[in-house]
Amino acid sequence: MAQLKIESLRKSYGPVEVLKGIDLEIEDGGFLVLVGPSGCGKSTLLNCIAGLEDTTSGDIRIGDRSVAGLHPSKRDIAMVFQSYALYPNMTVEKNISFGMEIRGMPKQEREAAINDVADMLQIRELLKRKPSQLSGGQRQRVAMGRALVRDPQVFLFDEPLSNLDAKLRVDMRTEIKRLHHRMQTTIVYVTHDQIEALTLATKIAVLKDGELQQFGTPDQIYNDPVNMFVADFMGSPSMNLLEATVSETDGALQVSIDGHDGPITLPAPDTRDMRARIGGKVMFGLRPEAFTDPQGADRTSGNVQMRRCFVEVVEPAGSDTFAVVKLGGKSAVARLRADARIAAGEATELAFNMGKAVFFDPDTQERVR
Amino acid sequence: MSAASQDIALKGSRVGRVVIYLVLVIFMIYYLLPLYVMVTNSLKPLDEIRGGDMLSLPSAWTIEPWRAAWSYAQIGVSPTGLKPFFINSILMVVPAVLLSTILGALNGYVLTKWSFRGSGMVFALLLLACFIPFQIVLIPMARILGILGIAGTTWGLVLVHTVYGLGFTTLFFRNYYAAFPTELVRAAQIDGAGFFQIFWRILVPSSAPIAVVTIIWQFTNVWNDFLFGVSFADFDSIPMTVALNNLVSSSTGVKEYNVHFAGAILAALPTLVVYIVSGRYFVRGLMAGAVKG
Repeated sequence: MAQLKIESLRKSYGPVEVLKGIDLEIEDGGFLVLVGPSGCGKSTLLNCIAGLEDTTSGDIRIGDRSVAGLHPSKRDIAMVFQSYALYPNMTVEKNISFGMEIRGMPKQEREAAINDVADMLQIRELLKRKPSQLSGGQRQRVAMGRALVRDPQVFLFDEPLSNLDAKLRVDMRTEIKRLHHRMQTTIVYVTHDQIEALTLATKIAVLKDGELQQFGTPDQIYNDPVNMFVADFMGSPSMNLLEATVSETDGALQVSIDGHDGPITLPAPDTRDMRARIGGKVMFGLRPEAFTDPQGADRTSGNVQMRRCFVEVVEPAGSDTFAVVKLGGKSAVARLRADARIAAGEATELAFNMGKAVFFDPDTQERVR
Repeated sequence: MSAASQDIALKGSRVGRVVIYLVLVIFMIYYLLPLYVMVTNSLKPLDEIRGGDMLSLPSAWTIEPWRAAWSYAQIGVSPTGLKPFFINSILMVVPAVLLSTILGALNGYVLTKWSFRGSGMVFALLLLACFIPFQIVLIPMARILGILGIAGTTWGLVLVHTVYGLGFTTLFFRNYYAAFPTELVRAAQIDGAGFFQIFWRILVPSSAPIAVVTIIWQFTNVWNDFLFGVSFADFDSIPMTVALNNLVSSSTGVKEYNVHFAGAILAALPTLVVYIVSGRYFVRGLMAGAVKG
């Protein structure tokens, strides 16, 4: 079956190494999202899987055969491009059937396949039009239709939603997820949008500077980041990362953070690594939704601590209210209920959900567990 | 308030318009005057021209000079008119333009979508061809034509013009294809299309504007060329421009100005037709290349 496996893949352009040994594996029917800031090598990795770029070393396997060195058309893949890449001189119908025509498929089969795809994506009335006569969302559908009609082992998506406006992007995101649910085909999807990554993926690979930072389920990536980069990159607003000092009182570990007036002291997990840092610094990471008003705190968490904090700015956002709090010498963001009673320029009681707190080494930026 | 200011704006623009049109009309007359002189005098009997008034309309209209220029005027040693040379030129121009355009398009395609180590250098060298004066290559070219055994033939001239045009046609197509989305080529690769399939099915159908520019450019240059024609053509491959020269600058007999005028117009007619038919694409294509290139 079509499981995709990437083994110590390297890619250099002359002396510049853009992929520094990537190992990934996605099960048949999985949805792998490659995410990272621009220049991290995610698109290069996708092009290597597609065969549009040569690899320097390493192997790519689709199902149980190695596709490294095979021509893109021989890899049994289909790709949806960021710019859609619809052939401007051909009608939608021709665009969808071009690949089948090149492969010499008989006309009847081609038409049957076009009809299937047109019904699935509801683009039947567009078949006779040219790409220039379509809206962005329609072009997106046609581009997906062109990929779907191949019925490949693996779909590749290269930032397919980044040219759409915000509302359409959300709709198409749902549509892609629905399609995946129905087709159960393996998908590799590149994006720089961490929300897209979290909503779509069964597995996420976070890349930075050509290196795989973390590979795991969306839940692992979000709640259990391995380093400060992943913690900071995933989630919006991003995780609060505050400098804290580790100390021990009566045998219990604590971290203390500079507050508005005096340090705020919170209990810390009693682990070997934390103990090794008594008297030293750690980075204390807390997502905005784990830092909230007392009524909004997660009641299922067994470790919620109330502390007085000084609120600098209040930003109502409709569904939530964000409070900017002065903590650890920086501005930390707390996510409160929409109708939390709170005023800027005052100290107020806020809840720290310590069950969600994570700690990092300030020098190596790696997780301290 | 706003109505008043609008009035002033309108009045100001109207005066400006009149001035602009006046100047344009003056320039139009200035530029059309030579054509007028040529057309009127080509329709006069020779006596009327000898009378000295070049600007007046013919008093006795005649198309005899046109017939003479086309079919029986003395050119060189035989009274053939320009007709056989016109055909020579067509036989030279059409293959030369098509070949240089197709090769230029292929070059542009390879240089932008299949670029290889040193492709920038290749392009720079091709570009250099645009700046080499014709005279420099005359002797080496004569030698090569001799070696190939096509010296003095129409195909020899086709080769010369194709090679010489390649620099420009490559430049045009390369700049046009540089702006052509590479993702389309990649999509076609995934669809399984090969090198030439991508070229013919994806790039060529979108190349109409730049193809028109290239064809006009090449047609004009090849048709109007005199130096290569006079250097490399043999008696039965002499192009129109050289024949016209032979007609006009013959040193024996009476100078038949009316026939000369008619001949000159005949020689200029094809380029004129090409411009009128596709001139607006020319400007549009040049601009597109300039902005995107």
